[in-house]
Amino acid sequence: MSAHAAAAPTSTGIDHKKLIMWLFLASDCMFFGTLISTHLLYRKLYPTGFTDAEGHQQFIQKLFDIELTSFSTFILLMSSFLMALAVSAMHKGQIASFRRNVLGVIFFGLIFLGCQVYEFTHFYQKGLTIQNSVFGSTFYVLTGTHGTHVAIGVLWLVLLYFYSFTGRLGGHQGALDVEVAGLYWHFVDIVWIIIFTVVYLVEYLGPNGIWGAALPLA
Amino acid sequence: MSAAHAETAAPDPALLAEETRRYHHFITLALWLAIITGIEIVAIFVPVSAGVILASLAALSVVKFFAVVLWFMHLIYDHKLLFWLFMMGLVLATATFTALVMLFSFDRVDTAWFA
Repeated sequence: MSAHAAAAPTSTGIDHKKLIMWLFLASDCMFFGTLISTHLLYRKLYPTGFTDAEGHQQFIQKLFDIELTSFSTFILLMSSFLMALAVSAMHKGQIASFRRNVLGVIFFGLIFLGCQVYEFTHFYQKGLTIQNSVFGSTFYVLTGTHGTHVAIGVLWLVLLYFYSFTGRLGGHQGALDVEVAGLYWHFVDIVWIIIFTVVYLVEYLGPNGIWGAALPLA
Repeated sequence: MSAAHAETAAPDPALLAEETRRYHHFITLALWLAIITGIEIVAIFVPVSAGVILASLAALSVVKFFAVVLWFMHLIYDHKLLFWLFMMGLVLATATFTALVMLFSFDRVDTAWFA
């Protein structure tokens, strides 16, 4: 048995890397929980959108592009699917399949980041900055933090992809390393599932929105 | 261990069968996730009360959330301790959210609640 295949026994019966990752994800849940709560509370307290540089009142519902965000969501969900296949491939010892799937995840992750950069640029040009409204502050901080998590995930997967060519990513430990990276990636996906609903979709509910402000749809 | 060795290392047949079974679960789940996302997008334009749509969106999000956590993140196959560890963080996050919403939903919460 090689050094890779030997798994050190633990008191819990769970590998330490996996245990630590789950603890980190639990703490990250609380982190995103506070960011999402803050966004929703301030959205409720300040329902009228924001004022652009020329002093015109702008409405959030008209700012959002639901097609783009839906596309981003679909891309991230499918990247999660490919990540699950990549982890499965590593458990089966199929490193070529792992590389193909992880390249797909990286590609989809980059598309998601590209969509976010486009969205931020578009919003900035429309006058929404991080400083000119409470909505801008909470929106950019929340989605920007999520985007940073995606970027870190992409970087991690790129490193794993190249590491797989060294021949040292194999056996039980290799599969575990990929699984831990996969947990992080899936977490990024589930956070987006919540953000997509509570930040984007709820803006479209009812002709006047759900936040109590008169939001013209035209 | 060389790359070629890693490629050809024969896995346990039982593990291989289990991973193949999971592979089919992943494909089915990916299809359902895509369908649910489609339903969510259509739902926001359905002319019924916002409360009904909001409740539906929340329910669909919870379904998607736990589908990814249980199957893609292997919690359904893994040690129960991992599930409860994650639930601990999730419950604390949800409790924080609920507490904040209630705090900002009442005027003078300090007197209204404890009077």
